[in-house]
Amino acid sequence: MFDPKLYRRNPDVSWRLIEGQAVLVHNREGEIEVLNEVGSYLWEHAGEPLDGLSGNISQEFDVSREQALRDAEEFYQALVASGALQPFNEK
Amino acid sequence: MSGVPVHLLDRLTERYSPFLASVPEAHEVALEAGESRYLHHIPGSLLRLEESRDDQGEVLVSHNFAARRAGNHGRLLLSAPEDAEDSLMAIENYLRWTLADMALDHGGFIFHAAGLAKNGSAYVFFGPSGAGKSTIVSLSPGARILSDDLVLVLQGQSGWQAATTPFKGMFPQGAKDRAVYPLAGLFRLVQSPSLALAKLPVGLAVGMAMACCPFVSDPLKRHGKLMKLVEQCCRETGVSELRFRRDSSFWNLVER
Repeated sequence: MFDPKLYRRNPDVSWRLIEGQAVLVHNREGEIEVLNEVGSYLWEHAGEPLDGLSGNISQEFDVSREQALRDAEEFYQALVASGALQPFNEK
Repeated sequence: MSGVPVHLLDRLTERYSPFLASVPEAHEVALEAGESRYLHHIPGSLLRLEESRDDQGEVLVSHNFAARRAGNHGRLLLSAPEDAEDSLMAIENYLRWTLADMALDHGGFIFHAAGLAKNGSAYVFFGPSGAGKSTIVSLSPGARILSDDLVLVLQGQSGWQAATTPFKGMFPQGAKDRAVYPLAGLFRLVQSPSLALAKLPVGLAVGMAMACCPFVSDPLKRHGKLMKLVEQCCRETGVSELRFRRDSSFWNLVER
């Protein structure tokens, strides 16, 4: 299970929230990611407990809490793979 | 620019002199002979440019030059000053690098895009390599080419503007002089069998536009400032996705 407390936003990623969409620029690689509404919400709240986040997503969108939790975990793991999130102990 | 080898003077004068100005903000660069090689470069591969910063300023290194810059002054060390093409390419890259930061300091940015002017307005077309920037230029014989490679986007008193740059692209510019036009629109290119224009959400537009800003790999930490400007420009000018086919009919959509 993904533990959000162990990860943080990579300080080498510049980002802005624009009309509900988070735009991420990986400073070293020059890669750009544009997140959708749910992804942007999760990005903004990275590090917070998944239970609360998935509960909020479940209320806001037509999706079960369990599905929202699975999606959030998968999404955060994708962000770790892309380097947008990194473990706290990594510089 | 000082220390220019004699055999480069005519070439440099032809390309850049209309863009030089003796104003306090002007940049001075001294050319010198450097080491025979800096970064390793595999022929046919993409040119590598590595930026860094130390306590003396900013550094840019490629395979055939190394440059250091501090404020309005710089040094450019050429690996092969006797080789005109090699040296011109190094000088061009130094100027692109420097213009990118000078533009930011003046509330603008340079954009990897094709810029065309028609009926007094500028239209800027962007996208990744292969999106069709050169194609758009070739399909627009009646338009003035600002650049088919790098366009300078600036904030003017009455709105955003697009300006010519001296940088070498595939097409000759209509005139080698400085010219600025009000920016009528930004268009993300998609080659398609059909013609269509659709406005992009600002967030997506900013992401796509940022990907087309040179020096987007950013050890010099210019992204915060750049992203704010790009967002402002996208918001105020509007960005559309242009699906176009290989004829000039797209002008009927973009000029509306």
